[in-house]
Amino acid sequence: MLIWKTPGKTYTMKRIALFLILLSIFSCQDDDSNYTEINQPLDFIVPANFPDTAQDIGRNFPTQKGFELGRKLFYDGRLSRDGTVSCSFCHEQSSAFTHHGHDFSHGIDNLAGIRNAPAVQNMAFQSEYFYDGASNSLEMLSIVPIHNPVEMDETLENIVSKLKQNTAYVKLFAQAFENREVSSGNMLKALGQFMTMMISANSRYDKFVRNEPGGTLNSQELQGRDLFQSNCATCHKTDLFTDHSFRNNGLPPNPNLNDLGRETVTGFARDRYKFKVPSLRNVALTAPYMHDGRFGSLQSVLNFYSNGVQNTENLDPLLQQHPTLGIPLNQTEKEAIIAFLKTLTDEEFIQNPLFYFRT
Amino acid sequence: MKSYLKNIAVCIAFTLFITSCSNDDDSKPVEGTFGDVELFFDNGVSGDALTLGNSYTNSNGETLKLQRFNYIVSNFVLIKEDGSQFTYPKDDSYFIISEEAGTFTVHLENVPVGDYKKIKFGIGVDQQRYLQGETAQQSFWDLAAANNMTWTWSTGYRFINFEGTFTAAGGDGVSRNFMVHQGSNTATDNYIEVTLNLPTTARVRTEEMPNIHLKSDANVILDGDNKIALRLNMNPAGTAASIMGGENLISIAENTKKMFTVDHVHNGAGTHH
Repeated sequence: MLIWKTPGKTYTMKRIALFLILLSIFSCQDDDSNYTEINQPLDFIVPANFPDTAQDIGRNFPTQKGFELGRKLFYDGRLSRDGTVSCSFCHEQSSAFTHHGHDFSHGIDNLAGIRNAPAVQNMAFQSEYFYDGASNSLEMLSIVPIHNPVEMDETLENIVSKLKQNTAYVKLFAQAFENREVSSGNMLKALGQFMTMMISANSRYDKFVRNEPGGTLNSQELQGRDLFQSNCATCHKTDLFTDHSFRNNGLPPNPNLNDLGRETVTGFARDRYKFKVPSLRNVALTAPYMHDGRFGSLQSVLNFYSNGVQNTENLDPLLQQHPTLGIPLNQTEKEAIIAFLKTLTDEEFIQNPLFYFRT
Repeated sequence: MKSYLKNIAVCIAFTLFITSCSNDDDSKPVEGTFGDVELFFDNGVSGDALTLGNSYTNSNGETLKLQRFNYIVSNFVLIKEDGSQFTYPKDDSYFIISEEAGTFTVHLENVPVGDYKKIKFGIGVDQQRYLQGETAQQSFWDLAAANNMTWTWSTGYRFINFEGTFTAAGGDGVSRNFMVHQGSNTATDNYIEVTLNLPTTARVRTEEMPNIHLKSDANVILDGDNKIALRLNMNPAGTAASIMGGENLISIAENTKKMFTVDHVHNGAGTHH
């Protein structure tokens, strides 16, 4: 809590990375002694072009050890019933922590879910999680995939009893938390700390916006940006590229799934077929697209918006303001938008060794 | 270097050990200032006793056989005649009443002595507490999970877990399962608080523990000011009724404002029942 910097242009994610690396070097030395434990708060910095955090991260401020523990847990199959499915199973770093190439992520016993794994990035800036907003807490959200019978099919209580038998975990929990306990609360907290630090804000687009070296967009990308701003940015708002709302974008419902979307959580018919507007950061890496992963390419997504939108219950009014439903776009315009979307790819994020668990 | 650090660590640990021992001796309340209060929740249905496995018929024309009736009560406040309030420490102010587990009491400790005329408490878990995350409420979360009071497809608590089977008058006579899970979600906050007058003053003294005897009426959940028919809330397959979201939860929150009444208060030392 000591280190909480206000948004500042002078700080970059590189500096955070350097800081983390330095810390991890120090922590290696610490491991040599059983009697000293240095657990530093991490340097969490809001990127200059981002809105404020939506989660109160001061409640569970990331520390070096909490982050390390969260990372270890994120990559650990013990969180599933039979030890085979870790968080990283469906959230792979190289695909901006999505499940590349899978429309429905397959989980335990090779069972398939009904939704496409969403990206895990910039989590502290989101107010609600999952396509239907089943959780509004970064600390609590891991409960959902852990208990889902087709994802990890485990319980918090069981995981804790497994972790208590592992000396490495017992030590890490003791270092990471003041009460030193291996508990489900601390486990969720550690995962929350890891996810808090997973910030993607160093794409070419970000550098362009922040006027940093390497931040140039070519004429097609700039044209795409203009088109994006006039056609897409009402929902894919701010530099997070989402307004955090739930909307029906007119996808024809899949009768085999009958996924009611937001209504599943709220129970309100007015929320039928509404799904969370996803961030478009790293979107070139997160195929397939939509809540059910029905589209394999960005071209297909834009084709859908130009001539595939269907008038189902609660269709968003923004998609009904032209003579035909959806967003009129010609092929040149679509290509420009796709070129722009590709500038949102953040290589530093997907290659950052801090988010990859190495043992 | 290592042994030096080791020595420091040992010294610190030893000091902490000593300090923690002496703290225990100091933590007792000052004599004559604090007492205890006990609340007893007597579950019933429209004035009759509630027994799991027994049936009752409500004004919606449905006969319910209850198998589970658990609920969370929280954030207790005791109010004196002059309006001054004692708010029980929030960290310790969450309790589960469970018919199946036979848990019916809420025991409050270290309550300032005085004469109390009203009590206030919440049904469920307030959003503020919930958003503090599981860590702030570890022991309560564990208790809630053990009592079927946590959601897993979403994150949060069930405030009331009311389950059993039912048959509808004029229907096919088949008995079907029902599940009513009251709670908040990311769209609606269904936590409510009730304030109840005590028919007799609850006298809290160091040697006197009042026992506040409340009656809870499970019938009001579906058959209170708002009427909720289970037969109109069937799942798509028509095999069971399930109420876990939407307007129903708002109606139930409203209904449960009248779920509790204080029947009587026992003053004097010790417990009763």
